Amino acid sequence: MAIVLESLAKIVFMFLLIMGMVPALIWAERKGAAYIQDRTGPNRASIGGVRLAGLVHPIADVLKLVFKEDVAPTNRHRALYALAPWVVMTVAVSTYAVIPFGDYLTIAGRKIPLVVADLQVGLLYVLAVASLGTYGIVLAGWAANNKFTFLGGIRATAQMISYEINMGLAIMGLMLIFGSLRLTDIVAGQGGLLFGWLPMWGVVLQPLGFVLFITSVYAETNRNPFDLPEGESEIVAGYHLEYSSLKFALFFMAEYCHMVVGAAMISALYFGGYQIPWLPRPMLEKHAGLLLQLVLGLTVAASLLFAVLFLRRVQREKGKFGDARDREPVLGAGFWIIVALAAAGAFALRPGDIGATGASVFASLFQVGAFVGKVVFFAWLFIWVRWTLPRFRYDQLMRLGWKVMLPLGLANLVGTALVVALIGNGK
Amino acid sequence: MSFEGLSKESTEKRRSLLESIYLWEVVKGLAVTGRHLVHNIFHTGDMPTMQYPEEKRVYSDRFRGRHRLMKREDGTPRCVACQMCSTYCPADCITITAAEHPDPAIEKYPATFDIDLLRCVYCGLCEEACPCDAIRMDTGIYEIAADSRDKFVVDKEFLLNEQTRGTR
Amino acid sequence: MAKLTIDGGAIEVADGTSLFDACRLARGEALPHFCYHPDLSIAGVCRLCQVEVEGMPKLTIACNTAVRDGMVVHTRSEKVRKASQQILEMHLINHPVDCPICDQAGECGLQNQYMAYGLYDSQVTQGDKVHKTKAQVIGPEVILDKERCVLCSRCVRFCNEVTKTGELGIFNRGDRAEIGVAPGQQLDNAYSVNTVDICPVGALTSRDFRFQKRVWMLKSADGVCAGCATGCNVRIDHEAGRVYRLKPRRNAQVNGSWMCDEGRHTYKAVHADDRLVEPMWRGQAVTWADAKVRLAEVAAGGFALVVGSAHQALEELCLLKQVAAGAALSGGLAGSDMGVGDDILRSADRTPNRRGLALAGFAEHGAIELAALIRAAKGAILVHGGDPAAAPEVAAALAGRQDVVYVGTHRRATAQAAALALPGATWAEKAGIFVNRQGRAQAFAQAVARPGQAREDWRVLAELLPAPAAAPGSLKVLREAVRAQLALDVDLDRLPADGALTGGEA
Repeated sequence: MAIVLESLAKIVFMFLLIMGMVPALIWAERKGAAYIQDRTGPNRASIGGVRLAGLVHPIADVLKLVFKEDVAPTNRHRALYALAPWVVMTVAVSTYAVIPFGDYLTIAGRKIPLVVADLQVGLLYVLAVASLGTYGIVLAGWAANNKFTFLGGIRATAQMISYEINMGLAIMGLMLIFGSLRLTDIVAGQGGLLFGWLPMWGVVLQPLGFVLFITSVYAETNRNPFDLPEGESEIVAGYHLEYSSLKFALFFMAEYCHMVVGAAMISALYFGGYQIPWLPRPMLEKHAGLLLQLVLGLTVAASLLFAVLFLRRVQREKGKFGDARDREPVLGAGFWIIVALAAAGAFALRPGDIGATGASVFASLFQVGAFVGKVVFFAWLFIWVRWTLPRFRYDQLMRLGWKVMLPLGLANLVGTALVVALIGNGK
Repeated sequence: MSFEGLSKESTEKRRSLLESIYLWEVVKGLAVTGRHLVHNIFHTGDMPTMQYPEEKRVYSDRFRGRHRLMKREDGTPRCVACQMCSTYCPADCITITAAEHPDPAIEKYPATFDIDLLRCVYCGLCEEACPCDAIRMDTGIYEIAADSRDKFVVDKEFLLNEQTRGTR
Repeated sequence: MAKLTIDGGAIEVADGTSLFDACRLARGEALPHFCYHPDLSIAGVCRLCQVEVEGMPKLTIACNTAVRDGMVVHTRSEKVRKASQQILEMHLINHPVDCPICDQAGECGLQNQYMAYGLYDSQVTQGDKVHKTKAQVIGPEVILDKERCVLCSRCVRFCNEVTKTGELGIFNRGDRAEIGVAPGQQLDNAYSVNTVDICPVGALTSRDFRFQKRVWMLKSADGVCAGCATGCNVRIDHEAGRVYRLKPRRNAQVNGSWMCDEGRHTYKAVHADDRLVEPMWRGQAVTWADAKVRLAEVAAGGFALVVGSAHQALEELCLLKQVAAGAALSGGLAGSDMGVGDDILRSADRTPNRRGLALAGFAEHGAIELAALIRAAKGAILVHGGDPAAAPEVAAALAGRQDVVYVGTHRRATAQAAALALPGATWAEKAGIFVNRQGRAQAFAQAVARPGQAREDWRVLAELLPAPAAAPGSLKVLREAVRAQLALDVDLDRLPADGALTGGEA
């Protein structure tokens, strides 16, 4: 019974993490793109005058999509047309099952591993499920009965086949080194230090494998510079051209879910997952009290900084808009002052003596936080790359996949195998 | 004209090894965009974006905005319905119906004077064609929006009224 | 014959030709002029057509000079150019230049000729002009603006020479000279709008056309007036599906340069409220497809009586005869549409094609005869055009019959009496041929689009033929058939500009 509850709790946590990151990423995409391009980006939607620098816009977007008319082509394949967005979405979310987001959590003597399903063949599961995502896209392209969506679907298939192989080859290098397909093993194996000072992350052990992997992940998620399935300059919007309203919203959200999955994979496989370099778990637990004080102190400082920034706006922007938005600086300043006071209060309570259990929970949460931080960074990298690089031409995409990355991947695999055979693997 | 004089490098530049690996160039590109991003986060005021309804661009006095009709001293339209403007109009957006004026010294006046602002291309040829300086585009009004097409067709009373803004 | 040299080119013209006409031939365009008019006497008052004739001490006006053998004439010399410029300046001295409100703008002699021959850098100032009466109503059709007048006297000569009514005259002297009507009189002759046509400026304008449309927006089609049997040649000025006015087109054989005021108003019937614009079955509007179904019900066995009309074109009447296929024929009511005629242009016969009706083989009947024919008809009756039911006897005969088909343009008595009324086209909406009282076949062209569901009459009739498959595919084919049917030796599709006489009794 307990294990069911545990699993449910973990599933809900993972799901909320992803779903919470989607609107944040959409915001980051829009705002980041704007700032990269010297624009201001979204800053209009507000709730009672509070705009959260455009963070309200995803809510408005969702509301709009919910209330939009669902226009669908007459000659579609009804069942598959309706199924396709769900396939894409489901696949995007289910990859998370095997990714460890923390080491373990000890509650009332129970040691709970922080992964939904600790599969022995976790890596194979990831590869298998990720390739299923193509089905959704191909079905969407075909079922809509439109030549542009169909072309988008075909492109997605060809692209997926080309880059799936490279992805697999890249991961095999890691598999050889860590001697396991289990993701928890791989992450745990990255906790050590190489030569006593270099974190034993996948990226350090497998630099070429990392480059091949991250490129393949970008291609698998259909993100720029590999977003040819929806290349609007040639095929309008590609596979989701004929979708509108909530069905389109599903595709849209699935893209960001894929991004989060990709970022989580990159973090787990090549950047040590929840591992914090030079700060192994025993040390974390030992200095938990100090770290907590440090975190609280930093929170106070940051909140005060934000409060000051808002207070400056109070003076500067008095009556600037002539509507509810004028309240925003006051509300912002108030909010950050309250946060600062709360953190300061917690700081003043001196929670240094949190006990062994508390220290263990804190250490687990700290590691989860580290993992989420890494995921956020790589998700942002997706966005950053999108607004930096131009899209590949289709022949360039194919040449890169088959003529450059495949030989490199094979060479990497053979090289790693030789090294592992000579000096033994990480175990 | 021949292309013999042009060196091949100008069209097909040879890549260096570093460039052909591509990764370093990607990082350089990320650095460029990252620089813009960071700069803009800390210098939001430097952005050229105008926060439109709150901020408005100052246009030249010669800016051609929405039309207006001029009045005589007694408040009647200066227009004599000669239809020069509607003849000259390249967008064919002016419709005038002429009628007999009770005063034989004026003789002709516009019974209706409609401008379809959706068809208008704001070229200003109507002002130029007008022999009576009756139509002008000097209002500076450019906020022309409405929720139905017929509201963009503005009539004589609308154009004569100095208080009107935008569309009907 | 006289041989003369004009602008360096040799030309030979008949003796007695005016130098003005010789110059027109030589130059390809007329000399600038206001007062000269081919159908009026020579006045020589505008002084604009001055030319340089070698051997003459001064410039001379071409309109009042007869050609002489061996004349050497210059019409484009510097001297002539300067003279034209100065004369135009003189005409402008007291002209108000109120072109924006002037209906003549766009077809104004002063505007056009100033553009072609004027000084441009005008010496005339807008101040100190002699002001005269503006917008004075001088008759039922005409309005006078004395300021705009250049005193060419064309209108005065027209009233003296053509209508011989003499209402207009020039009063006062010098720069106070002005056109006017005598006190208590009005310009109310039956041809008064011709003065508007011949007025080179906007001094005389038509009250009917006043402010309706700027003339440069109008498009024109060559028509023939359907107002009476004279068949005056007209220009149908129209825009956006609407006829705005009729103007006479010069045809020396028929109407000269004139037409009557009554004829000018015939365009109003084209846009009348009681136009038949869609097929009507027992008073209800139906589609053409429905109408065809009804037609098959009503006239399954063809027609027993076919009634034509002198209002229809020749081609239609010939086709109507084929529709009859041997059934009883009638040309409609004899003596209908009669009015007052005169010896200038107007015919008492107010139908455009009574000669054509006879030519096509239709005989007209009196009201009692026609009523008897209708009563004798043992099958469906087809009435094409006209309004025979306007006669009470005919209306009584038609009353109660459910097998009457009417093809026409207006919802008048006959259309109301018919079970099935099919909308046809008026003369402005179709091409055709009228044969006038002289027996002259004259073609008219389509000006505007047909309203609503209305169709060309010949296409409607073609549907009624006993063998619709044999129907002519185009008007050109139909005209060829008509030529063969009537044994005419003219190409009806390419009639000469002044029409072709068809012979036959007057």
